[in-house]
Amino acid sequence: MRLLRRHDMAWLLAMTIFTMHYVIIGGGISGTTAAEELRKLDSSSEITLVCEELHPIYSRVLLPHYIKSKIPRERVFLKKEIWYSEQNIDWMPGVLAVHLDPKNKFVTLSNGREIEYDKLLIATGGEPRLLFENQNNVSYLRSLSDADHFLELINSRDANCRGDVFGGGFIACEYINLFSHFNIPTRVSIRGEYFWSRSLERKVGEFINQHLEKKGVELKTKSFFSIEPNSIVGVGTGIESDFSWLKSAGLEVNTGIVANEFLETNILDVYTAGDVCEFYDVIVGHHLNVGNWMNAIVQGRVAAQNMTGKKTVFELVSSYATNLLGLEIIFIGDVLKESSDEVRLIGSVEDGGITQLFGRKGQLVGAVLLNRNSNRQLITDLIKNRQTIDKMAKT
Amino acid sequence: MKLRIKVDPDLCIGAASCVTISPETFQLNDENKAVVFDHSQEPNGRTYERWIEVNDDEKENILLAAQSCPTLAIFIFDEEGKQLFPEI
Repeated sequence: MRLLRRHDMAWLLAMTIFTMHYVIIGGGISGTTAAEELRKLDSSSEITLVCEELHPIYSRVLLPHYIKSKIPRERVFLKKEIWYSEQNIDWMPGVLAVHLDPKNKFVTLSNGREIEYDKLLIATGGEPRLLFENQNNVSYLRSLSDADHFLELINSRDANCRGDVFGGGFIACEYINLFSHFNIPTRVSIRGEYFWSRSLERKVGEFINQHLEKKGVELKTKSFFSIEPNSIVGVGTGIESDFSWLKSAGLEVNTGIVANEFLETNILDVYTAGDVCEFYDVIVGHHLNVGNWMNAIVQGRVAAQNMTGKKTVFELVSSYATNLLGLEIIFIGDVLKESSDEVRLIGSVEDGGITQLFGRKGQLVGAVLLNRNSNRQLITDLIKNRQTIDKMAKT
Repeated sequence: MKLRIKVDPDLCIGAASCVTISPETFQLNDENKAVVFDHSQEPNGRTYERWIEVNDDEKENILLAAQSCPTLAIFIFDEEGKQLFPEI
């Protein structure tokens, strides 16, 4: 057995003397992963997990598989209800946090209860931007209830029904695939001229437009959203979060909750992880807000480690992939045009695939791959190792 | 001990969280699906299913990789054929 270093011993001592109370707001994949990691690291602590949803944790990524009947509904759940009590986690479903008092270290919940914390994690995720509220034929694909509702719409449609997709991002891709699966003619309306206009160069965006049109999807660019009769509307116009209760507590919020590389916020003993976290990315050298599964799960784990006093830098080149009617699309790392100072393209429409590279001060920081899967690992490694954009462009 | 590791390519969406956690066991192929490696090697070629010899730490890490999969596309079995993950 290796000898314990001094800081290990201090950490162990702290763990044994005090019973810590960890409070996690948000029971999605980031918050639940944090709770699981906290329990592994600290078997005697109190852990409270406050969740807006009434269900145990499930995978949002599995919802399209469930809608297509690839898996039964019960397979979307990642944990059983009993898991929370087995782990001695005080699971509070159906409750929201509404007020934070960082001075006296307590959180007020929507049921009126006040809970004190020693360390607090905010992992509340995002809610879909709502369009056309209270319209029954409008669908969002964020929650299990949304998936159930979409299936109801599909099962009760008439023969001339059309699928209308609003938005040009990953959720819009899911709706296009779902309507195609059910052989429903599809029209896509986007506000800009192509998908992911904050990331993609025109040539790359037009590649996707051409692909959709080839697949028989009607595409309306620079379009306003309006509901037409006899349609099922799938909305994928991004997510937003309610930060008002956190801002009034003095938490620094920008696009997301601002955190350093240890996922610590500007308020002592308050941490953040997942879709709401705008963290300092040590690889690219500035703050990023990333909403994908890989990021959420790893941040949940790293936040838990830091909450227990095991100082851990969050360092990850995260990626997200989708398949849009046969077109493979992969986003890796930092893919915002506004935060890069150089963009290069490899491949072409004629070649059947394009890679768009993002550079910052000569360093490769991100990439979008269309039908060029074989570049994925190489680019991930180059970004992780802080290599130059030249190095990739020359391969 | 030996584990049987199996990826269902129909469920896999190439999220790559398994590759992040256990790159010696999982890598993506050109179809953007996870394939199973044996300690960074591919004896007998590329495959979605493989028996591999592991120690306790490796087993724990492979289970962690399987748990991180957003589509539960990774199945782990022990030598007796018992499914260790996803729990039934």
